[in-house]
Amino acid sequence: MTARDRYDVSLHLLDRQIVGAADRLVAKVDDVELTRLSDGRLVPTALLVGLPALLPRLSGLLARMHRLTRAAAADRDLPLVADLGLVDEVGSDVRLNVAHARLPRMERARAEDPHRLRVGDVLGIPVRCAELPRRSKVLDLCVVGVPGHAGRDDPHEVVALIVGPGRPGALLGYDRRSEPGPAVVAGIVRWLHRHARVVDLGPGVVLDVDAGEVRIERGTSLLPLRG
Amino acid sequence: MKRYLGVLLGVLTAIGGFVDIGDLVTDAQVGARFGWSMTWVVLLGVGGICVFAEMAGRIAAVSHRATFDLVRERLGPRVGMLNLVGSILVTLLTFIAEIGGVALALQLVSSVNHVLVVPFVAAAVWIVLWRAKFSSIENVLGLLGLSLIGFAVALWQLGPDWNDVLHQLAPTSNPGGESWTTYAYFAVALFGAAMTPYEVFFFSSGGVEERWTRKDIGVMRANVFIGFPLGGILALAIAGCAAEVFLPHGISVETLGQVGLPVALALGKIGLAVVVLGFFAATFGAACETGLSVGYSLAQYFGFQWGKYVRPRDAAGFHVIILLATALGAGVLLTGVDPIMVTEMSVVFSAIALPLTYLPILVVANDPDYLGEHRNGRLANVLGVFYLGIVLVVSLAAIPLMIVTSMGQH
Repeated sequence: MTARDRYDVSLHLLDRQIVGAADRLVAKVDDVELTRLSDGRLVPTALLVGLPALLPRLSGLLARMHRLTRAAAADRDLPLVADLGLVDEVGSDVRLNVAHARLPRMERARAEDPHRLRVGDVLGIPVRCAELPRRSKVLDLCVVGVPGHAGRDDPHEVVALIVGPGRPGALLGYDRRSEPGPAVVAGIVRWLHRHARVVDLGPGVVLDVDAGEVRIERGTSLLPLRG
Repeated sequence: MKRYLGVLLGVLTAIGGFVDIGDLVTDAQVGARFGWSMTWVVLLGVGGICVFAEMAGRIAAVSHRATFDLVRERLGPRVGMLNLVGSILVTLLTFIAEIGGVALALQLVSSVNHVLVVPFVAAAVWIVLWRAKFSSIENVLGLLGLSLIGFAVALWQLGPDWNDVLHQLAPTSNPGGESWTTYAYFAVALFGAAMTPYEVFFFSSGGVEERWTRKDIGVMRANVFIGFPLGGILALAIAGCAAEVFLPHGISVETLGQVGLPVALALGKIGLAVVVLGFFAATFGAACETGLSVGYSLAQYFGFQWGKYVRPRDAAGFHVIILLATALGAGVLLTGVDPIMVTEMSVVFSAIALPLTYLPILVVANDPDYLGEHRNGRLANVLGVFYLGIVLVVSLAAIPLMIVTSMGQH
């Protein structure tokens, strides 16, 4: 992976293959846990693994069905957790320094902690902003930090949201950096997402996951995506 | 010297493994009904599979990521799931057709009804997939598949009027006098057979299985750019034999036996025996490839351990999926469904599934995170976009054409 001090959670981390010790394939990054610190900062804290993490991203109905089928073993509706400190490297895959069997299941108290949320709960929620098209949603989360170095230096932090019409993942990676891509495909994707913007988290931006929306005040700086 | 032998073996197995039941049936049907007028579709399809197999192989060699990894990473879990369901259905359909093809090949030799042979074929496929080494499967069956060169020899012996063949090469010649919608339907089927998605699933996963590195990119390219086109020539020879023998009499191809008949006419029993061995090897090899591809796709979507490069106990889920797929395939064939009809359906549905498979490959082949200096150059991108446009049109046209022509009946 090229060195960077900033990455997009959906593009660079979600759905990547997790590889454990001895090159064994462990799972996909099915979701990412975020924690809201007491000072209000939002930081990624763990990779979540397993159907309880994946199904809610596919459909709420599938997640409910999964919980019903697991009713006899209530803890099984919670995902496995790989704290970001276990991540050695993030490239085209995510390298852990432990084998699969060592990944613990999330404790219920942690699952019910109101300060913790999942990236899957944030992606796709509506964005209310007078200066954006009505159907705008959260498309991705921008994080400051070098992938694979969380917990060693400063913790990673969600610093901005990518918002706009369309669905998360549809940007295909053409939005943020200088991948040349086939010019035709890049051009089509950029045209489809011409209304997408980057908005820094801070004054004027409220990420209200309980209400299921992001509110952006008029006059807040909305930066265009870089080509 | 060892390196050159490795390249030669790779090219030979690529040729022998290029043709499967979909190519055998569709090429012969097209030759019998449209003569040489669809040669351009075969060439177009071979070009397309070369372009995307090379990209998928390069990604596997540099980043060790197989195609379905990319599908979920770039399209997300929802669209990825849609692709997974579609691809699994198509690959399962092809798997069923291949097992049926092996049974039909054995029926040609033994005269025992293919339905009775199916359970034994399915058991043999599963045992091979469970026990045999990946390289042994690929090399042994790929080399045996070279027996299909018998079609090229037979075509030469049949002595076609090459001037007439040249005239028929024009797409507008349509010597059988079929309607243009039927022509378009078979063009879509032929293109789908050449570019069927399981080929890149298998090719890229095979690269990971065989631990390709950047150093293997040259060998991989030789396999693709020499082996696949020569395999395409075999496909043309099959169509050409059917064009010489069946087209003048207005006979359509309905059985695997008919596919081999021109060889029997040109080369006698020995020639027929050789190409029937080729049928067996090509379909058995493709059955192994499609069976593995079902396991590869599911495992790569969900991320659990897959592959024959680890012990079966370490990839238990992967092997259970293959076992279930094999049992399902055998079960479907035991209902008495015609494997040739399953084949015809599989190639058309392949055409529908193409864009969702090839778009992520093209996007990731441009991503420096995955490929660094080995990312696509201008030529690869121009060809990739050209073929992406074609697969989009083909996939949109497939179902309407299937309905309008009643699967090519009129």
